[in-house]
Amino acid sequence: MTEKKKKLSKVFDYLQYDDPYAGGLTFCAGCPLESLARFVPQVLGDDIVITGTPSCSAPVLLGQNIGTWHRMPYYGTLMTGAAANATGLARMYKRKGIKNTVVCFNGDGTASDIGFGNLSGAAERNEPFIYICYDNEGYMNTGIQRSSTTPAGARTTTSPVGRMTHGKDVTSKNLPLLMAMHKVPYAATATMSYLEDLAKKLLKAKEKKEEGFCYLHVFCPCPTGWGVPTDGSLDLCRMAVKTNFFPLWEAENGEIRFTREVNKPKPIGEYTKLIKKFEHLDEQGVARLQKDVDFNHSILMRLSGSCEQGGRHD
Amino acid sequence: MQARSEQDARIMVITGNAAAAYGAMLCRPDVVATYPITPQTEVIEKLFEFAASGELDAEMVPVEGENSAMNVVTAASMAGGRVFTATSSWGLAFMYDAMLAASGTRAPVVMVNVNRETPGIIAVSSGQQDMISTRDSGWIQLVAEDCQEILDQVLMAYRLAEDHDIQVPVMVNYDGFYLSYLAGKVEVPSKKRVSDFLAVLNEQPKRQILLPGQPLGCGTHGILQGFVELRYKHVQAMERAKAAFDAIDQEFASQFGRGYGGQIEEYRTGDADIVLVASGSMCGTIKTVVDRKREQGLPVGLVRLRMYRPFPSEKLTQVLKDRKAVGVVDRSVGFGIQGGPIYSEVCSLSAKFGGASVLSFIDGLANTDVTSDHVEQMLDLLSAAARGEPCPQVTWVCMEE
Amino acid sequence: MIEVRFHGRGGQGAVMASRIMANAFVRIGQYGASFPMFGFERRGAPVTAFGRFDANPVREKTQIYHPDIVVVLDPSQRFFEKVYSGLKSHAVLVLNAALPFETQPHENLETAGIVNADQISIEEVGRALPNTCMLGAFAATTGHLPLESLEAALEDYFQGSRLKANVRCLRRGYEEAAVGHF
Repeated sequence: MTEKKKKLSKVFDYLQYDDPYAGGLTFCAGCPLESLARFVPQVLGDDIVITGTPSCSAPVLLGQNIGTWHRMPYYGTLMTGAAANATGLARMYKRKGIKNTVVCFNGDGTASDIGFGNLSGAAERNEPFIYICYDNEGYMNTGIQRSSTTPAGARTTTSPVGRMTHGKDVTSKNLPLLMAMHKVPYAATATMSYLEDLAKKLLKAKEKKEEGFCYLHVFCPCPTGWGVPTDGSLDLCRMAVKTNFFPLWEAENGEIRFTREVNKPKPIGEYTKLIKKFEHLDEQGVARLQKDVDFNHSILMRLSGSCEQGGRHD
Repeated sequence: MQARSEQDARIMVITGNAAAAYGAMLCRPDVVATYPITPQTEVIEKLFEFAASGELDAEMVPVEGENSAMNVVTAASMAGGRVFTATSSWGLAFMYDAMLAASGTRAPVVMVNVNRETPGIIAVSSGQQDMISTRDSGWIQLVAEDCQEILDQVLMAYRLAEDHDIQVPVMVNYDGFYLSYLAGKVEVPSKKRVSDFLAVLNEQPKRQILLPGQPLGCGTHGILQGFVELRYKHVQAMERAKAAFDAIDQEFASQFGRGYGGQIEEYRTGDADIVLVASGSMCGTIKTVVDRKREQGLPVGLVRLRMYRPFPSEKLTQVLKDRKAVGVVDRSVGFGIQGGPIYSEVCSLSAKFGGASVLSFIDGLANTDVTSDHVEQMLDLLSAAARGEPCPQVTWVCMEE
Repeated sequence: MIEVRFHGRGGQGAVMASRIMANAFVRIGQYGASFPMFGFERRGAPVTAFGRFDANPVREKTQIYHPDIVVVLDPSQRFFEKVYSGLKSHAVLVLNAALPFETQPHENLETAGIVNADQISIEEVGRALPNTCMLGAFAATTGHLPLESLEAALEDYFQGSRLKANVRCLRRGYEEAAVGHF
């Protein structure tokens, strides 16, 4: 095997700061959360203070009593009050005039469910910090239970497939859109297969948090919980975007703009067939999910003004 | 209104809630996060009024629920701030997990809790059940008797919470309705005098705080020995808080001319055969009845609990030694235990203070008045017990036949 | 110690009246404590407030069951039995009403000061807010408080034109109270 010296991809230009983590973190094999956890501080910089909760990122962000795996200041706190804790930190730094980037780093369980109230409260009060939700569509740290961002039809341990039940029986909550509708200075979606897009959005959030609350919703597949090969996460990220299952957009003060147009979206079946949590879906189940995807996308189209009022985009 | 000297203090006629708000404002908190609930609401309205007028310069966070109030102030405290919040009843219950985080991370939060019954039976009324429900949250808990003491205890609470040797959050309790809305004469000290009182905190070693660019782990995972060590230290700090509170109270007396006795206040206990143990606003009425009984030649006295956590075991053992009868008045119930919660703790000391029959009185639940008639009734029972007559161990004084 | 019980309805200012009274007692070097006992806080609901005034610090914090004085801000409650419950002997009534009593409403009642506080406040403040007028009537009927200390106390609760209007209410209450004995 001969190794060719490749030119570094453009995304490396965004990594202006050192990786604060030690090597060899205890994430599940193939989990893109590790890349995200390393990526965020390298873009955002060294005035970062991170706060998070018991979740997949907790063992890494919060450390154990044998020591931690990074050198960021952090506060490990409660799922019920994650955004409120970030508020407390950010307000205190503001009061003392201390330059800071408070990042509240949580999974979808905290963001969309148990900590949704105070996330919404912090957004409404326009608190000056960045909230990053990595969405792996379930409570993965406790062993793959459904959350309100788990898509319709998906199998989890609390939405099992059996004679009587066929995966999650209701549709998912569109959390990023809900956050954008708080008309906060900045809200955006991103994923690990479009790193430059993610980097730009992180930098935009860092700039916009001077005006107030910023929200980033990062699609983050869970190989262990979803049943995909450990080298399959990034393919899933790409396919989620290409099927419009997870559109990439940003919103300033509630005004939505796509950051990546998908001209000919692939059918959702192309995405679901890659994932074991959907393997039981019959045609009807896939069609239902397709309807969800289309509906969510049409809302975005209307809100972004990318189509005629009430029209559909294909 | 004119005080002795305008520079030292103002004499005002204000409610217990306003007294709490003045106390907080005078300590110049950095961050105040609050959510309203009856009968606490006036505290936070007053604080926002102070902020609007410029009397209070703080980050004001009108949160969307009590849980967030506690989380905001805990985190702000970790970031080095002096903080304040206030709540009551279900609000306290709603912030319970965050209260555990505050004490577990040793964040020196100061909070007032306006005592009110807890839900299930929706009682918009006074009662200490909320305070009792958070007994094991790792907080220091103080209880005030009147409006002046509410203000004074808030000042003392900061000295206690932020003391380098303590670093435990402090809850100042006072009876909802009976004190929250009671307007009385209160001496409101000047900011200058309060900052003099708190100045000693500035000379102490700085506590560790969370700052950008300075790697520090807070709220980390701790298991096995890591956990055990931190818990042990927390428990030891609670123990130290007892003597510290006595000392702070004495210093307060020398600076402001008002002392309360520290962990407990003893009222005419010197030669008393019969002693009531009680806390909160009911103690004023009890003192009046004690005086009346003394005039009739009955040797009775009152021990007022000013500190509920840590429990003043040593002080109580000392003062209850060799009495003939001891009665404990609880404004709350102990589910599944015989008698009131404070009663059961006093009982646990009875082997040490020896001899006396100890009786439990449940009174004042849900705004039932602890009247002078009730107190007389308790003292009659205690007199009978002192004579060796059989008496019920537990009496629900507030329950009509 | 003087124990005063106030009877009114939400919106009439009974609680504030009890507080202003405490304030005025403190201004003459005495001690005062007042507190309301309401159920759910809304306009129109019956409100009871209590005031204790003494040369020594007031320690009792219970409701008042045996008042020396009852102040009735709500004319419709003048015939309510509970208004007079537990009256001490030689008790005093201060009442907001347009008409005097024809018969003694309670045997322990010795003195009554009656003033049309609704009418006076409508004339001075623009709507029926009888509380400050009733304080003037209290001073005239009982003699426990000098008018000046009540006037000074008002400054802690009102400003500007509202203060002036309420001072007028207070004075008229003092002057126009018809004090009589049963």
